[in-house]
Formats: sequence, C-alpha cells, structure tokens
Amino acid sequence: MRASTAISVGRVNLEVRQGIALWLHGLIVLASIVVGLGISVLLLVISGIDVSNVFEEFIVLTFFDSAGLADVLLEWAPLILVGLSAAVAFRVQFWNIGIEGQFVWGAIGTTVVMIYDIGPAWAQIYLMFLGGIIGGMAWIAVPAVLRLRLGVNEIISTLLLNYVAALFVLNQLFGAWQDPAAVYYKTAQFADHQRLPQIGWGQIHVGLFIALAAAALVWLVTERSRFGAYMKLVGSNPRMALASGIPVALTVLAAVMLSGALSGLGGYLVASGQEYALTIYVAIGYGFSGIVIAFLSRNNPAAVVVVSFLMAGLYVAGESIQVFYGLPEALIGLIQAIIVICVVGSDFFVRYRVRWMR
Amino acid sequence: MVDFIVNWIAFTPVFAVPLMLASIGLIINERAGVLNLGAEGIMLMGAFAGVVVYIESGGVLALGTLGAIAAGFAVSALFAFMVVTMRLNQVVAGIAIVFFASGLTGLIGNPWTERAVEGFTKVDMGPLSAVPVLGKILFSQDLMVYASVPLVYFVWRFLHRSIPGMKLRAVGENPQAADAAGVGIDLMRFGAVVVGGALVGLAGGYLALAASKIWVEDMTHGRGWIAVALVIFARWRPGRAVLGALLFGGIEALIPRIQAVGLPVPQYLLLMMPYLVTLAVLTYVGLVSRTGSGAPGALGLAYVREDRR
Repeated sequence: MRASTAISVGRVNLEVRQGIALWLHGLIVLASIVVGLGISVLLLVISGIDVSNVFEEFIVLTFFDSAGLADVLLEWAPLILVGLSAAVAFRVQFWNIGIEGQFVWGAIGTTVVMIYDIGPAWAQIYLMFLGGIIGGMAWIAVPAVLRLRLGVNEIISTLLLNYVAALFVLNQLFGAWQDPAAVYYKTAQFADHQRLPQIGWGQIHVGLFIALAAAALVWLVTERSRFGAYMKLVGSNPRMALASGIPVALTVLAAVMLSGALSGLGGYLVASGQEYALTIYVAIGYGFSGIVIAFLSRNNPAAVVVVSFLMAGLYVAGESIQVFYGLPEALIGLIQAIIVICVVGSDFFVRYRVRWMR
Repeated sequence: MVDFIVNWIAFTPVFAVPLMLASIGLIINERAGVLNLGAEGIMLMGAFAGVVVYIESGGVLALGTLGAIAAGFAVSALFAFMVVTMRLNQVVAGIAIVFFASGLTGLIGNPWTERAVEGFTKVDMGPLSAVPVLGKILFSQDLMVYASVPLVYFVWRFLHRSIPGMKLRAVGENPQAADAAGVGIDLMRFGAVVVGGALVGLAGGYLALAASKIWVEDMTHGRGWIAVALVIFARWRPGRAVLGALLFGGIEALIPRIQAVGLPVPQYLLLMMPYLVTLAVLTYVGLVSRTGSGAPGALGLAYVREDRR
C-alpha cells in the first residue's frame, strides 16, 4: 500500500490518480451513462412498460421519422439556451439553480409587449426579444448582486426566486392578464405579427436559428475572447485571478448576466414560438434540464449543442411514452436525475484507482 | 383581534416544527462538514413515505412517522455514499438528490395522491387545554411539538457537551487534525449524514401528516431550501435554529389566518412571503456577518488523507 494519497475503505483501497488518459476518462463517463440508462429502463419495466416496444415505437419514431424529428428540433432550441445559460454561470463557479425563474421572466418580458401593446406592430417581435432578455437578466440581477456584495449563497437565493416567479405568474394569470375566453389559465393569444415565423417543417420556427446563433456567440466569447479567458481563470482559481489583477467581480457579474439573458431568451422562444401565450407551464422542467445539460457537457458550449439535442430526444420520446402508458410528467425528471447521479458517480473512478485488498 | 393573534400563535408550531427538525438535522450534517443540499428531496421522500405507510397500515401514526424517518435515513444513506464514501461533489450530488426524489415520488405517487389523512391530532390535556389563551397556545399542540423540545435539547447536548459531539465538530472544522487525532472521518461523516437525514425525513413526514394532512406531488414547496437557509441564519447553532424556525413558522401560519379572516390580500402574493423573507434574512446575515459566517471550516469539502489543497 502506498502511504501517500491513498484511502482505505474496508477492503477497498483508493489511490488518487496523478492523471488519466483521455480514452479511459471517456470510457468511464460513457459507461456511467450506459449504467444510468440501464437503471432507467429497469424503472420503465417496473412501471409496466414493454421495453422491447420502447426502442421500436419511441426511439425510432423520435429520431428517424420526419414528424418526430421536427418535434425534437422544436424542443432542441430552448434546451440549447438553458444549457448555455447554466454552462456560462457554472464556468465562473456561480451555481445558477434559478434558470426556471429567469425563463419565466423571459416569457413575462415577452408577454408584456403583447399585453400593453408596446411599439409599432412590425417592431413588436423584436421588442419581445429584448423583453425576454431583460426579463431574464432582471431576475438574476438580485442574486448576483447579493452574492457579490454580501456573499449571500446564490444556490439558495436563485432557487427561492423560482417559487416567487411561479407565484407571480399565477397571480397574473388568475387576475389582470387572464384571458376570459381561455379554457385553462393563460393570457390571450399573441397576434400573428407577435409570433416567431415557422420554417415550414412541423412546428419548427426561426427560434432554432436564434438558439444556434447564441451557441456560436457563447462559444466565441468563452473560447476566443479575453473575457472568456478571464472566466476560465476566475472559475478555476478566483484568488489567483484576483492577485493577477483580473476584475473578478466584474467578470462574474458579466457571466451571470449573460446566463440570465440566455434563460430569458429561452422563455421568449417558448412564449413567442410555441405557446403563443403566457401559461402556467411555460418553464416547467427547463431549469433542471439546463443544469443537467451543462453538467453532462462539462460547461463546453459546443458540447451543450450536442447534449441538448439528445435531451430533446429524451423529452419527445418521454412525452410519447407518458401519453401512451399514462405515466406522470415526473418520468423525464427522474431519468435525468438517475443519469446525472451515475455521471457524478463516474467522477469517482476518474479521480481514484480502486484496488481490492486481499 | 385577540382571537386572531391567539389563533396565529397557536398555529405557529405546526409550521415551525418541520423547519426546526429539518434545520436541526442539517446542522448535524454540516457540523461534520457535509453540505446537504438534498434536504428538499429528503423531506419530500419523508413526506411521501410517511403518508404511504400511514395509509397502508390503516392509519397507524407511529408507523407513518417511522416510515418517514426510514425514508430520510435511506435517501441520506445514498447521499452519504456519494459524498462521503465516493467523495463526489457535494453541491452536484445534493441537487441531483432533490430531482431524484421529486421524480421518483412523482412517478410512483399517484395511488396516494390527494387522499386526506387524519395524521397527528391535538393532545387534549383536559382542564389545561381549556385555560383561556394559554390553553390553546401551550396545551393543545400535537405530540411531535412536545417531543421536539427535548429532541433539540438532546442534539445541542450531544454537539456541544459530549465527546462524540466534539469529535463530530472537529471532523467538520479540521478533518486533517481530527484524522491525526484518531477520529474515523468517513464513519463520523456517514453517521452524521444519515442521522441528520433521518431528522430531515421526519420533518417531511410531520409536514405531510400534521400540517397539510395530505400527500401532493412536490408538496414541500421549497421548505427544504428554506431549512438550508435557516442553518446559515442560525450560524450552525441548534438554539438559534429554533428561533429561526419559529419566525418562519409564524410567517407560514399567518398566511391561512389572513385568508381565514378574508383580508383583501392577493393569495399568490401572500404565498411569496416565506421565500421573500428567507431572502431578506440571508441578506441581513450577509450585512451583519462581516467577521465570518460561523460556518464549519471544512464545510462542503471532501476529505482525502494527504490530499493537496
């Protein structure tokens, strides 16, 4: 037994790795995802689902069918944005768990243009774009300032504000903004000029290009700009960053505001491109999905685009499984959580070499 | 007006006890150096298990309560395995536990959803309960309210007046030193997480069986997160956690009281109060604690012997 950097847990001996080969690292992460999916399939079996059908009926119909693929691409756009939002914040060690709240406020900022009929008709779709960004940024500004000025834990503050945002939407939808003609609680429908134009394949709208452009922009900022380099330093070692004269607080603030803007943009896409209204369900599930996507992509913007595509597939397949078998919404969240737990777990095998002692 | 205030104070403990049990449990976790952000999920599992066991056992309250404790114990054992044994990132693991619990209870919870349960009932102390004002406030609570008083005292005694408690705090403050002094770090942390987690589960069970008397998906509504914030407010001390829990319980108890007397306050804005007050309290703590928050030195850090920091 090597004395240094080793831990014994019962009959297991852990050795801290000095470094790890890239292929081994990739293999470990891949194995953990397979284990996560395996546990998820097991859960589906327990829930009474015929798994041999799942592959054929749902996976094939999701990715290799024109209508299914269109649904995936539709769902892809907001997921890219929430994934980017989480990735940008996590890069500077700011745990933004309030993506759902910022997403809601993006949708509110969008809806405000419709409710109060702001600006000339031709400009409204652009004003809504701005409204979404402003809504998202405004909602993250409070936790950002509290953290930077007073050291208030942003995990708790951003999370609590999710509840406040949801309650605010309820307050509006059961009150001033309620559409008296609607069967369930939502605002009046957006007019045609307030909707994102569709591209003529399923429900897909130009929001997909907005999301992809945002991903390219975030990649440029994080990988090719001075600000991106600052972000990396601040994220890896804030003390050293401060000592070497980098404006740490400003870098964190800018990254966090960018994160809020991206979430808000997601709200704009869903309100203006899919729902054409503000509804109670506008943001449900996007917060955790953003965190999961960023986590699985290791906060890399290019990887976010790929992972969010797979996540969109999980959404669409999960939805049809839900409808078909009458399972609750919680199914997708549970599968996501199981995969995350397994991938978090893989970190253990990345960092330690496990040896059995006789 | 007097009636309103008496009713308000009398209803406060039912809302304060879940927050108190959860924050006391979290203090045990965090004093040993483990940041448990999974509290919301552990509470949810406790609430779910409490109601399920209560209903399936035909309404045996003791079994329901034990079910909640066992669920808290089990989920925290999973969490402890992740962060203590496998030394994974405590923040990510905690958040994953919350969504795991929310998803699992949402998926399997349907058969038990929205079935009203009798749960905890008020103790009738005869003439004492009939005393005006005081009878309603002090002598008409349920068993758990009375039991929680010695429980908090015991946890405080353990943490601050016993040798094992001192070792536990040493593990959270400076695991290197504690390790050198011969304290088993992993065992102590694992124990602290599961025992504290059992209390968090109990908090959830009590919430479902005494406050709401029903299981609804995601019914904890952020109370686990409020408990995490309460621990910061309490500066990791059990006594102050009780004060904080009473404050927040008071706010939560106020909401149905205001609705009952029909004051024209929009209900959804009223429901924001606990979250906004939590944020205000955290801001206040940030403003006054220039000298340090009182957090355990090694909070949130995995311990690896001889690891470079």
